Amino acid sequence: MQLDLRKGSRLRLLAILLAVIMAIFVVRLFYLQVVQHEYYVGLANKEQLKQLVIPAQRGEIYALDGNRPVKLVLNETVYTVFADPKVIEDPDKIIDTIQQVAGGNARPKLDELLAKKETRYQIIATKVTQKQAELIKKEKLKGVGFQKGSQRVYPEGQLAAQTLGFVDGEGNGKYGIEGALNDRLLGKDGLLQSVTDISNVPLTIGDKNINKPAQNGDNLVLTIDRNIQSYTERALAEGMKKSGATHGSAMIVDPNSGKVMAMANLPTYNPGEFGKVADISVFNNGTISSPYEPGSDIKTLTVAAGLDRGVIRPDSTYNNTDSIKVEDRTIGNATKGQTGVITMQHALNYSLNTGMVTIAQRLGDGTRITRAARDTIYEYFHDKLRLGERTGIELANEAKGTIIPPTDVDGGAVRYSNMAFGQGMDVTMVQVCAAFSTIINGGTYYQPTVVAGTMDNNGARFTPATAKPSQQNVISHGTSETVREMIHQARVAFHAAQDKAGYYTGGKTGTSQTLRDGKYVDNETVGTYLGFGGSSARELKYVIMVQVSGENMNLEGGKHAMPIFTDISNWLIDYMKLQPKG
Amino acid sequence: MSYQRTTQFSPRRGANWNRNQNTARFASSVKLGPVTHTVLVALMITVLGLIYLTQATRATSYDYETQKVDSQIAELATKKTDLEVESARLTALEAVQSSTVAKTMTKPAETNYAGE
Repeated sequence: MQLDLRKGSRLRLLAILLAVIMAIFVVRLFYLQVVQHEYYVGLANKEQLKQLVIPAQRGEIYALDGNRPVKLVLNETVYTVFADPKVIEDPDKIIDTIQQVAGGNARPKLDELLAKKETRYQIIATKVTQKQAELIKKEKLKGVGFQKGSQRVYPEGQLAAQTLGFVDGEGNGKYGIEGALNDRLLGKDGLLQSVTDISNVPLTIGDKNINKPAQNGDNLVLTIDRNIQSYTERALAEGMKKSGATHGSAMIVDPNSGKVMAMANLPTYNPGEFGKVADISVFNNGTISSPYEPGSDIKTLTVAAGLDRGVIRPDSTYNNTDSIKVEDRTIGNATKGQTGVITMQHALNYSLNTGMVTIAQRLGDGTRITRAARDTIYEYFHDKLRLGERTGIELANEAKGTIIPPTDVDGGAVRYSNMAFGQGMDVTMVQVCAAFSTIINGGTYYQPTVVAGTMDNNGARFTPATAKPSQQNVISHGTSETVREMIHQARVAFHAAQDKAGYYTGGKTGTSQTLRDGKYVDNETVGTYLGFGGSSARELKYVIMVQVSGENMNLEGGKHAMPIFTDISNWLIDYMKLQPKG
Repeated sequence: MSYQRTTQFSPRRGANWNRNQNTARFASSVKLGPVTHTVLVALMITVLGLIYLTQATRATSYDYETQKVDSQIAELATKKTDLEVESARLTALEAVQSSTVAKTMTKPAETNYAGE
């Protein structure tokens, strides 16, 4: 049977109408499902597909306790407690609970915050610990929520503050190792992309799920020994108290590896409370960030250059008249009276400027600091011992300093005569320590470092850092032995009684004038002391450098910095369990 | 006069016939119409859909269990870090130096070395 629809019949019209409606549906569906496909898939994904960031844990920082790494900077889980004033039911109970549990972490004027009914989010306490959060949760306060976060914890308080630096509110490391190695410490956040249910629980359904785990930051182990650091800070504080100095820095380096064992700076601060610091200059690490005129400590380097070039020996003599003429300038000694024909050892013992200018002259034609002499001094100071160049230590804000080359218009004979006894140049303590270590360790320059290695995530396996580049034969081994002995004699001549008997120590004082507006001032000097110690000449274990200063204060290396060196040196001998061999 | 056949004829049935093989076609007595076919296909699709839904729901229930375990791990990890912080605070130099044991310590009068 064939359905025969008569032309113009109602059934035929209905059929046409249905066909048209169907066609509209088809066209509409085609538009929605084919043409607008991407748009609606996007909308659906937006609703169903959630991207959750898996935060990477910032790497922890360890110090050494002898040979054992111990945690110096940790991460602690903390919570920010907030309330929704529109939802809360019992504001008095909330205020009581928060004030009792969170204490000082509760925000002031809680009643006013909770009364702001037009708002939906009010922070009522910050930095609440896990235990405190659990106590608050037990109260089942309606309209109160928690946001999880992490903060740095410093169980040792102010210890090594400038070496560590701190982490700001946005999670970025500032100053110290936190600033310099921020990228390594940060790690990489992971990503979890998944279809979630209404409670944001990730579900395995869907084909666009991504689970990229977070990579935690490196756990760094410092070369800093917390016991040495602590004692150095204490000794520096006591020494400054005695001298009245307002600023002080001290650092201890292993001369045979460049590893920094301690770096102390006063005044200091607690990195956990960096926001409370009034004077931000305390964030700076004076040992690396504050170039200064090193003064007489540099005489040890001048002597090393003279010995290495063969123009002097310890018993080489010159006629000291307490002054020496360089071009149109006359240079005098700070210590007067050692006149006559004296040896270079004598000149070093008494820190005579004339002796150092004589060495500079002998590096030239014997009477003048010629261009050749200036080139030689620049080669030793800058090229070989790397003064005036960043050492590359893993700490933020390392300063470069300035060594003016002989090619510069200011690099004349007068400048270089001054440089021979440590003036007319700007260097940092870490540069001086590295250079000094080189001339006493046999002639190898070790790049200073504060990173000993890394620790695995469980804090169980230590991986040592790759050795920093070093340069051998910066000066000859023989020169190093001679200059080491000369520095030893320079200390023994005056301070033998203060050292522990049977050990080999040496050191050099430094008292440098201060520049104000490009001119030396008479009422302010910086006192430094630079020395070494160990069981014997061939077993040196440490180099210590101390610097003290104060506004409008004349501080001297021998009087004010040297006692701090002696205190630390004698303590280190016991701490390192060194046996006397001298 | 006799004729000999030169061409061999084989019947069509014989060409497709092998030993032990029926030559008759089997015809079922049950007849399924197009409606039955459609219903059967719909049923199969429904069953498959149900199987899929069961498995998907089952997988989702595992997701909740995983989430629960993950939460427990996170909670324990937080507690572990808190304990580590507490331990570090208790073993900090200042805490050790101000301990009662440290306060009763005295400096040794002399030091002797094993090598002497």
